[in-house]
Amino acid sequence: MAESICRNLRDGALEGEHAPALSIKDSIATPFGSDVFNYVLTKLSSNILAGKSQSKISILDCYTDPLGWKDSLKGPLDTENFSLKDPIEAVLFRHVRNLDLLLSAIIEMGEALARQGKGRFSVSIDSVTEMLRHASLSSVANLLSKVRSHASRLKIAINGVICKLDIKKVYDQNRISSTFWLLHSDLHEIRAIAALEYLSSMVGSLEPMNLSLNGQRGDLEKLSLLEQNSRKGKFHVRFKRRNGRVRVMCEDFHIKQSGINFTPVSSEEGIINQGLLPKVQFNLQLSEKERIDRAKVVLPFEHQGNGEPMHIYDGRRSLSEGKDEKASVLSENLQTNENSGKGEIIYFRDSDDEMPDSDEDPDDDLDI
Amino acid sequence: MAAMKTRMSSFSRNTSVAPAPQAPGLKSGPNGTIFLSSGIPDLDKILGGGFPLGSLVMVMEDTEAPHHMLLLRNFMSQGLVHNQPLLYASPSKDPRAFLGTLPSPVLSKDDRSHNRDPEQLQEKGLRIAWQYKKYFGEHQPNFDSHRDTKHEYCNDFDLRKPLERHFLTAQNICCLSIQDPPNLAALRDCCAKFLAQFSRNNSSISCAGRVAIQSFCAPQCEYSNMEWDMLSFIRSLKGMIRDLNAVAVITFPPSLLSPSSSKRWQHIADTLLSVKAIPDEDKELANLLTGYQDMVGLLNVHKVANVNTQVPVILEATTFSIKLQKRRYLVLECLNQAPVDGSSGSSYASTGSCSGSTKTGTLDF
Repeated sequence: MAESICRNLRDGALEGEHAPALSIKDSIATPFGSDVFNYVLTKLSSNILAGKSQSKISILDCYTDPLGWKDSLKGPLDTENFSLKDPIEAVLFRHVRNLDLLLSAIIEMGEALARQGKGRFSVSIDSVTEMLRHASLSSVANLLSKVRSHASRLKIAINGVICKLDIKKVYDQNRISSTFWLLHSDLHEIRAIAALEYLSSMVGSLEPMNLSLNGQRGDLEKLSLLEQNSRKGKFHVRFKRRNGRVRVMCEDFHIKQSGINFTPVSSEEGIINQGLLPKVQFNLQLSEKERIDRAKVVLPFEHQGNGEPMHIYDGRRSLSEGKDEKASVLSENLQTNENSGKGEIIYFRDSDDEMPDSDEDPDDDLDI
Repeated sequence: MAAMKTRMSSFSRNTSVAPAPQAPGLKSGPNGTIFLSSGIPDLDKILGGGFPLGSLVMVMEDTEAPHHMLLLRNFMSQGLVHNQPLLYASPSKDPRAFLGTLPSPVLSKDDRSHNRDPEQLQEKGLRIAWQYKKYFGEHQPNFDSHRDTKHEYCNDFDLRKPLERHFLTAQNICCLSIQDPPNLAALRDCCAKFLAQFSRNNSSISCAGRVAIQSFCAPQCEYSNMEWDMLSFIRSLKGMIRDLNAVAVITFPPSLLSPSSSKRWQHIADTLLSVKAIPDEDKELANLLTGYQDMVGLLNVHKVANVNTQVPVILEATTFSIKLQKRRYLVLECLNQAPVDGSSGSSYASTGSCSGSTKTGTLDF
């Protein structure tokens, strides 16, 4: 499933559509967003690098000096402090608060890359959380939507990372054009998260394996659960398809030394969508007990196969059962008599005066 | 004298009281209201004729699905086909580009197969008709008969064919982007100017106008955190529209607003609809609903405008499934639950009669 996400990002968008955008959300319970982010990034870049020998990755470094303070100090400080990966050039960006400038820097960089070949580029934003520290939600949303809907030649992928705001432009000849970003859900208001989910076409959220720690458990159990949570988790993805349906996928992930591994979900969880349907007036579900009882019912006309002569039950109770039992309504759920150990259908006739199997034709009293 | 005067009691049929509108694309309804079409025939039937002039329609979007765009597209196309001026505002940078995606009307009825019912009738052998209403023919209201067949009140739209160019180059389309302006003053002025041409000063209506605002509180708009400003804009728009020959449709994603704002917006609407996405490949839903494979989403009708009347509109069913028939035509169907409980009221397809319906033979109060 993580593969399919990467594939979707790689495929890019059709003409006239916005670029696909992935939001990766994590929280303090599963702080592995960067790992997932790096996974997606490496998948994408391996796709790119495999395709074209001339592919380039360029970084817009907004981490080292986001607000331009070092510049303004004019001191002997070394302002050229890149966090470099070797063949990649990084351009320092000092005006994180001015998102228009940021957008134009991104586009400029991307166009430069794209001009070197006829391709598109992807933008990944390492941390939208960091962007939201410096700018308002609406301007960040504006930037993201402009990025997604930029002229079809350029497609930008934005990755978000928690502390650093690195914007890498990945040049791809194989029509990769997408964006993805990382977000820490517990650092933002619900509105901000909802807005970013609104802007993305795929939302991946990381959740801990065991959702709640019961307070009454012993310390040892708690520790073991914590231990589990520290390495594993669940990755849920909601994928907005073009036809308007939402595909929900889930995978387990496991962090190892070498990286992150995704495995299909171990336990089946059904998602019940009863909230969408109008409620009916009857309860059509049978509880477990009711299901067992229904299975035990001896049907009146059925040949039981035990050699006894068939008794056709006509609804009249024998005198021995007594006439002072309370009557109850025959409902959709079959009622059972627990005392007998086997189920029975209890049927109360409307009136005991009715003669069974009368020879008269009941239509005789119609005068036509 | 009283004897000479024609009886004008409140029990007379309202169709004789209201002036029949001369313009195509409008039809009279009960209580002196005049409807214009939503562009979706099934929705018009559900709402009892269409959107009444002077009302505000709000559509609650689902952030995960673009179904509100389907509704808007049909609404806008219908207006252009009937030559009704249109104002379109959207948070994208180039709203005009959206006009290129508007669907084209299907001109002849033969193209569109009304025969989704007879297809089911062609089962071999025994037919068990447990949904009787589906097989009744569609009752065409009698005042449609004197219309030109080219100007039907409500067209079916083929979503795969774009609208012809000559509709789009008309002078009466105004497009506006609401992404960049820092506040709503520009939008308000544009609406006021546009709506000034639709005042009701004489009894005959020359034309009606349509206003379509898409994703009104989208996060990329700068005003999106000014909730009171947005609310006051909607209120002023509603006030403007109330006594004009126009209908406004606003779509908004309620999850991006604060809960109290979202409630206020829902209350201010005359007609309130909501669209919902459905999960893909969901076995539970596939078992519960027939026709799950063709469904793309759900439409809920929360409120229907009741104009000039105190009688509320009560629908038989409020949840409908949105299907794309042959991937082209938008149809709304009542949810058909698989016949576990055949006596439930929601198992009739494509009905939705309400007290103000245009069916002949019912008394209109």
